[in-house]
Amino acid sequence: MNRKALGIGLRRGWTEHVQFLRDRREMAGGLLATVGMFVVLARWQGGTDVPGTDASRSVLMAAGFIAFSVSSVALMGLPMAVTADREEGALLRLRTVPGGMPAYLVGRAVTVLAQIATYVALMLAAGLAFTPLTLPAAAGDWLTLLWVLALGTLSVVPLGAALGTLLPGPRNAASILSLPLMGLMVVSGVMFPVTELPEPVRWVAQAFPLYWQGLGLRSVFLPDSMLAAEIGGSWRPLETAAVLGAWAVAGLLVAPWLLRRAARRESGTRLAERQERRAAQGAF
Amino acid sequence: MGATVITARGLRMRYGRAEVLRGVDLEVRAGEVFALLGPNGAGKTTTIEILEGFRRRSAGEARVLGTDPGKGGDAWRARIGVVLQNWRDHPRWGVRRLLAHVAEFYDRPRDPDELLDALGLTAQAGQAVGRLSGGQRRRLDVALGIVGRPELLFLDEPTAGFDPEARDGFHALVERLAREEGMTIMLTTHDLAEAERLADRIAILVAGSVAVCGTPSGLASVVRARSEVRWVEGGAVRSERPDDASRLAYELHRRFAGPVPGLEIRRPSLEESYLDLVRRAGPDGPGAAAFAADGPRAEREAA
Repeated sequence: MNRKALGIGLRRGWTEHVQFLRDRREMAGGLLATVGMFVVLARWQGGTDVPGTDASRSVLMAAGFIAFSVSSVALMGLPMAVTADREEGALLRLRTVPGGMPAYLVGRAVTVLAQIATYVALMLAAGLAFTPLTLPAAAGDWLTLLWVLALGTLSVVPLGAALGTLLPGPRNAASILSLPLMGLMVVSGVMFPVTELPEPVRWVAQAFPLYWQGLGLRSVFLPDSMLAAEIGGSWRPLETAAVLGAWAVAGLLVAPWLLRRAARRESGTRLAERQERRAAQGAF
Repeated sequence: MGATVITARGLRMRYGRAEVLRGVDLEVRAGEVFALLGPNGAGKTTTIEILEGFRRRSAGEARVLGTDPGKGGDAWRARIGVVLQNWRDHPRWGVRRLLAHVAEFYDRPRDPDELLDALGLTAQAGQAVGRLSGGQRRRLDVALGIVGRPELLFLDEPTAGFDPEARDGFHALVERLAREEGMTIMLTTHDLAEAERLADRIAILVAGSVAVCGTPSGLASVVRARSEVRWVEGGAVRSERPDDASRLAYELHRRFAGPVPGLEIRRPSLEESYLDLVRRAGPDGPGAAAFAADGPRAEREAA
């Protein structure tokens, strides 16, 4: 990739991020709803400790919701954005322009990372304001926070981009993805410890990045007494790195290929077909 | 008229068992406005998408600005402008902002403000793209297509869905681009009047191949369906479409040894002739092959 496309892509991504921040519907529907849900849950039943530990339930939720923000932007917001780019023709527009595809990818990377940063910062701020959550004091905890956020992001962003190339349109993407994502949230220890769930459900949770990112964040924000409610009584940092890393590698192998294929397949005819289909759906 | 900008030889496109293009031959020269005219489903958009490099052909040869469009890189892309029918992209971007963004990709772009002014979009410069009217949107698409100073501009059904006034304004814009900028323009349309008004040359695409190709006036004489000769004989109206209407009239006069009752010779309009051509050469029409075979001869005659 040349530096020119990189520069254009960075500016493009920033422009779209500012549009996202200014869009009242997106703010109210996505960002504020997620933060609001966390605040309500934390105040409603976060006042107690996790049974068998002296770890606050509301801090557990804060760590869980930070992890969920990352997954929700990457696995819901990003696929919707990519399908919208395909349906509206932004992808095709950039195909008509020299150096357009690398700039598009950089732009999307910027918007998704900026959105994740916004969500995480707001969720962290809400945690500090409404729960006993405190920022880590030890340098080691900060380091863990950074690598868990970075690797956690990398484990879901390529996956989200891949989903965006496979789903038919933004509305379908929303309806297809929201239920599994909510289910994953319930079983992944975002709101209560996974050890309260039956064994098979725990295995499902451990197959996906959300549980592991939450575990990594709990190791930063919760006392070691919380380990009494964790699987195996350990923070399992090596396993966390391995699972998140495996998802990241798998995503990075598949996503570029799918994105190239999606871009190559864009044409005016396909654009017309999709828009006709959308119009027909809208009529019913 | 200068060098050849687009050459296509025996372009074929197959989707599964359906053959959309059955050997399209085209030649577009530098500086001309070339219209690909045909009914819906004739293969116009498929042809233009192959030439734009967005679709891989099943068979045949294609050269656009000296390069195989299936293999054109960024340098080739920079010389081509594309305006599609169905763009609804970047709805949240400001009009000027999007134009400036796309301009950045080119080495020697036009000034976005001058371009907005030239296309009558200055008042909408700060507006969100998604709030433009249909006509404004299409003008912005043209602005985005030409901001990089392309040598060749593709317009796919540029006035579909326009009211007559917007259509007229758009025609004037295309004429200005061709005249003042010397840009080569290839457009598709299903409207004969539009092709006649804008194009230096027209190729009529029917059922996946070029039926005829030539200048609008040349085309008129080639495409013209046979004249209809009607007369009254034995109390009934008779009608024929002979090869040579004048000869039939002469023979009738000789047979009647005087004036022929109810004699009428009707030359069909170009529009009627076009529709006749489309009907006869329709997907299942027996005339398709014959017309395809007529293509090169017709082109020579028209030229």
